[in-house]
Amino acid sequence: MHLGVSIRALTLATAGFFVVSACGPTNNTPSANLAPADKQTLSVNDGTEPNSYDPTQQTYTYEAGVGRETFESLLKPNPAGTDVTPAAAEKFDVSSDGLTYTFHLRTNAKWSDGKAVTAADWVYGYQHFLNPALAAGYVDPFFDTTIKGADNYANVDVSSSSAIDSFISGLGLSATDANTFVIKLQHPAAFFKWVVTLWVAVPIRKDVVEQAAGGTFPSNDTTKPLKWAQSVNTIIGNGPYKISEIVSKDHVTLVPNTGYWGGAPHLQKIVENFIEDANTAFAKYQTGDLDMMTVPLADVDVVRNDPVLSKQAKVYPKLTTFWMTFNAQKSPFDNPDVRMAFAKSIDRDKLNKQVQHDIQQSIMSFIPKGMAGYDTSDKSQSFDAAAAKALLTKAGVTAAQLNKFKLLTRNTTRNKTLNQFIVDQWNTNLGLNMQLEVIDSKTVTSRIRKGQFDIYGPDGWGADYPDQQDWYDIFFKNSCHSLNWGCVDLPGYDTLVQKADGELDQNARNKDYNTAQKQLIDTAAVAFIYQDYEYNLIKPYVGNLTITAGDDQSLPGNFYWHEAYITAH
Amino acid sequence: MAVIAGRPKRGALLPSWLTDATNSRIGSLVLYVIRRLLWMIPVVFFVIVITFILMHSAAGSPWDKSGGRQLSQVIVDNLNKKYGLDKPVFQQFLLYIWNVLHFDFGLSYQYQGKSVVELIGGGWPYTATIGVLAFCLIVPIGVGLGVLAALRQNTRVDYATVGFATFSASFPNFVIGSLMIVFFSVLLYKWTGGQFFLPAGGWGLDDHLIMPAVTLALLPIAYTARLTRASTLETIRQDYIRTAWAKGLPERLVVIRHVLKNSLIPVVTTLGPTFAFLVTGSVIVETVFSIPGIGRAFVVAVTSRDYPMILGTTVLFSIIIAVANLVVDVLYVFIDPRVRLT
Repeated sequence: MHLGVSIRALTLATAGFFVVSACGPTNNTPSANLAPADKQTLSVNDGTEPNSYDPTQQTYTYEAGVGRETFESLLKPNPAGTDVTPAAAEKFDVSSDGLTYTFHLRTNAKWSDGKAVTAADWVYGYQHFLNPALAAGYVDPFFDTTIKGADNYANVDVSSSSAIDSFISGLGLSATDANTFVIKLQHPAAFFKWVVTLWVAVPIRKDVVEQAAGGTFPSNDTTKPLKWAQSVNTIIGNGPYKISEIVSKDHVTLVPNTGYWGGAPHLQKIVENFIEDANTAFAKYQTGDLDMMTVPLADVDVVRNDPVLSKQAKVYPKLTTFWMTFNAQKSPFDNPDVRMAFAKSIDRDKLNKQVQHDIQQSIMSFIPKGMAGYDTSDKSQSFDAAAAKALLTKAGVTAAQLNKFKLLTRNTTRNKTLNQFIVDQWNTNLGLNMQLEVIDSKTVTSRIRKGQFDIYGPDGWGADYPDQQDWYDIFFKNSCHSLNWGCVDLPGYDTLVQKADGELDQNARNKDYNTAQKQLIDTAAVAFIYQDYEYNLIKPYVGNLTITAGDDQSLPGNFYWHEAYITAH
Repeated sequence: MAVIAGRPKRGALLPSWLTDATNSRIGSLVLYVIRRLLWMIPVVFFVIVITFILMHSAAGSPWDKSGGRQLSQVIVDNLNKKYGLDKPVFQQFLLYIWNVLHFDFGLSYQYQGKSVVELIGGGWPYTATIGVLAFCLIVPIGVGLGVLAALRQNTRVDYATVGFATFSASFPNFVIGSLMIVFFSVLLYKWTGGQFFLPAGGWGLDDHLIMPAVTLALLPIAYTARLTRASTLETIRQDYIRTAWAKGLPERLVVIRHVLKNSLIPVVTTLGPTFAFLVTGSVIVETVFSIPGIGRAFVVAVTSRDYPMILGTTVLFSIIIAVANLVVDVLYVFIDPRVRLT
């Protein structure tokens, strides 16, 4: 998942799955002291306005924060994040060859304008999403590598509507009857059930799209098919809530979709504010304008020392790992010993205490806590200054050689502080005198894409869904310059991971992924640093929140808000 | 602009009605305004040229993400085709100019399907409201304090004014804004048990406007007060002021009719750019108080390389600044009867 970073955001927010039993009441039966209906309003901070209200076009967590309420995918993660649970689909079957997924849709599902949701709407929604002319950011790699016929996505001539039409009609998507949606795959993919939980994979109403566009349009048109998402009247979704008001860059107001299959929710209004400045959000929380928020790192100690606020704080892990990337195409970082020396000379616990206010957790492996595959047994990258120095000597690299290298840093306060600490660690523990190179974020991205850096960080990954397949493709050879910035050479890695991705037996998959993780750690493909934790404030009167580590940023419990309520206060 | 007292005869070859027009005070003013408005066309054109060059020479593409998985090359290529970025830059420039001539400023890259005109039109009213409100604070308070300080030079009033001006000029906007939020929102809420406090941000045509307008106004108030004080001090030492006092005019008349009118010329000069600065928005004030204006939108557009949005806002800003300067020049004519615009 893209790590959404707003201008002054201090946290690199993201998504992942992990359940915290200690968070909020979990009983499903509302207690008697519910606030009256006109007080059932939840006010939250989504940070930034979505770039689009068409969920298929959304790529950031703050966008999904609106998209997931207004539209509903076939399945969704269960609260524990261990498996999927039915959402818009009542159940699903997988053929024995693993190639055909049949989703049985709920017969009582309604759009927010009252019409019934049909399998044809699902086919249209997926086709709209997979139209190459619209260039939706989340097609690749989740859908073009799985759905039958979509592997041709990259080769479609987007200026030709007939080429697009033949591509779309050739996709393995069909509605066998009004309530059965069938998806055919290119090859077996045990993780596909997770792919359909993504907020981009939703039904869309053809008649609404065409009405907003002012009639039918050729499939190579890039603006008309998105017109519907511009107006509250035509944003008609199948989710538990619908948008009743958009005040651009200020807030959106959500009210219940009265036709939602799950019945009437307690919360009669959800206001998602777009407050970019975390300090302002903090003030608004304290003055009762927000019911929940993510605490800016600088204010963590304020909250800890406040007798009232400290009781409202909730800390929980996110499925996000951060690491430092070495340019392995550049000598001496092509030498695993040199990379390992850098990885072993960072005191991660000290980093978390001194820079991160003791919120994040040190990690020396790839898969974060809370997901299948979390395994800390391999301690190769653990802090050991003497061993690190010995590795440098073994590699025959001198301090003078290393001092000319710089740590490429995005110019946010958080990144600068963090990287300054890490460079200090290297300088102290390896006897170096290295410097930071701080430049603006876009320039950093364009440089790492071209491989113009020595060391870059913190780079990281947040789970799109809690399946390991979502993680290991980062270090594929062909991800070089697209996420595998360091282009590190890992013999046999690609074959092993691809085998695991296709396997249907979960145990066999886990075993192969584990071998791949060991390879990443032992060759110091990157230096793993920490796992991200959320530090949130939630008002005590917000009841029945089901918080998962996959919740979108600053929106604790947003997968299950339609079950939450406000108690009398 | 040339400010001259009296003017030579010229334009002998022009038709007599035109010569008459340029010779009359109002006629020359109208012609001057028209000429200045026409001058804005090349000005805006060069602003576009320079912005275009700078924008495209900045590293990074609109499709780069600030972290995590980048869009695949296929999707980037398709996006480039969609927005015409696959064409040579020069061709993109000509196309842009052609569209601007048709009042089409293009679609934002960041906000899908939204036109730049729509985005700026949506955001500017917020920015302008705060800006105009701040301006309404600056003129009376800034000028008033300045005149008061000058008339009571070296008294406690003077020291207090100069102290206040120095204080407000030394604190950056974001510090003042954040401190105000702490005091007037968070602490006031605590002390009054939530009975009375100012909202910590967000938009509303009510007490939401107080803190942003004051924060935005503080620095210009300080500046205007100091400038007015200096210029008034200079004016009150003039012979004609002494004459006014000598012939027994009451203080009110001396100050308003004789002092103020003359001491305001330098102040008006700065108020033009100040007004332009206020209504184009402050990214800091808009971020701190979470106002959905265009000051913030401009900075976001730059950091996300939203080319049409950058160009659109730059063009708007350049027009506002040009118009504000023109208004100031025209105002001189009314403040100082000696001024003639040519």
